[in-house]
Amino acid sequence: MNLTAQDEIAVYVEGVRQALAGVPAGIRDELLEDLPEHLAEVLAEGGGSLTERLGPPEAYAAELIASAGIPAAGARPAGGRSRLADQAAETAARHRARLRGFLDRADVRIGPLLGYPKASDFLVLLRPAWWVLRGYLAAMAAAVMLHDHSSPLGLLPRVGGDDFIALLLLTLGILGSVWLGRRTAPAGRWRRRAIRFGSAFLVLFAVIGFFEVDSAAQQDSYQEVSYNGGPFGGLDDVYVYDGQGRLLTGVHLYDQNGSPILLGDGYCYDETGIALFESRAMGYPQCPDTPPFNERGPGAAADPRATPDASPATPDASPAASAASPATPGASSAAPAPSSAAPTVGPSAEASVPAAPR
Amino acid sequence: MLRVDATQLLKGVLDLAVLAVLRDEDGYGYDILRRLRAGGLEEVGDASVYGTLRRLFNAGLLNSYVVPSDEGPHRKYYALNEAGRAELQRSGKVWQGFASIMEDLLRERGKA
Repeated sequence: MNLTAQDEIAVYVEGVRQALAGVPAGIRDELLEDLPEHLAEVLAEGGGSLTERLGPPEAYAAELIASAGIPAAGARPAGGRSRLADQAAETAARHRARLRGFLDRADVRIGPLLGYPKASDFLVLLRPAWWVLRGYLAAMAAAVMLHDHSSPLGLLPRVGGDDFIALLLLTLGILGSVWLGRRTAPAGRWRRRAIRFGSAFLVLFAVIGFFEVDSAAQQDSYQEVSYNGGPFGGLDDVYVYDGQGRLLTGVHLYDQNGSPILLGDGYCYDETGIALFESRAMGYPQCPDTPPFNERGPGAAADPRATPDASPATPDASPAASAASPATPGASSAAPAPSSAAPTVGPSAEASVPAAPR
Repeated sequence: MLRVDATQLLKGVLDLAVLAVLRDEDGYGYDILRRLRAGGLEEVGDASVYGTLRRLFNAGLLNSYVVPSDEGPHRKYYALNEAGRAELQRSGKVWQGFASIMEDLLRERGKA
């Protein structure tokens, strides 16, 4: 059956459907249910187009109504559907036919790649596998809906965390699904639709479930190492205090083999505790501005910082003072600037000053 | 004024004709149409047979089942059930009685 035949049938059926616009939707759908297959038979016999063989769709619809014993309300009411809606329906029918034609051609083209005349021949063989999978998915979906979050479900439908119930539910699901699949095709349009809709739901459920399980499996592998494992879980930085309670900076830690012990993540929060920046400290603590103990001991923090500042000042001060010989008031005014070093600098500067004018 | 035409007559007996061609063998829509035409009912309309099958099915005189076909679409087969057979027998008798009366009437007219 080629595309043009599909097209012709779809358009003809749509024409009949429009002519039956006055018939209640349920009856109309039922009347038209097998029409495409029937028209395909008519067309397969050859001898002209459908309209040539059967007359216009409107006449066909009228004959159908008369013979099917439907009350004469079947006559199309004026303005029941707008022309635009008619055209839209016809276009939709044509698109449906084109899609079906495309699938048919893809079926034949992909088949040989799988070693079968048609891809659908191969897919039909997978049907029982799908039934089993569908049963499992249905059991899982039921378990997820009944799940009370008291214990994790895992990959079995453990309702209430019970393994026995899980196996029972799984067995029922698979048996039910296989039974449903093995039955000959159900004639009812709505039952067929219900099964199709249910299957689509389960496929969606399976896709979502798959990604959830996949991401959970990925997280497990690094969670253990970096967050939960070992005595250093949750450790971000190291602060070392000496005997006087003074915070040491630029500390490096090594193990018994001389390998550096690297702890923390190398990132710091600023004083506000909101902004994160990369640490530029050499050694620990990586974030010296946010120590865990804020109160500093008497002179604990002030002393170690002041000493390195003051000591180089001493040798610097004397040559500077001796070179600037006439600037006596300048030297004396500079002297008090380094607070703790002032007494040491003062006499040496004064000692050199009297020698300068000579 | 009075015009007897095959199409008019057919309307009254199409149900019976469809039941009759299904008596010995199940069939799908187009197949049934072919049997009727082969049997001599050349005038029978496609939509009429299709609609009649629907109506007989809804009336509970036919069973239906779908048969997947190797080439082409799936086919919906119709089969007579018990009620259908009973109806065929009853209507068949009515028709035969009616037909023989008509035959007698027409023969006497011919003689007169």
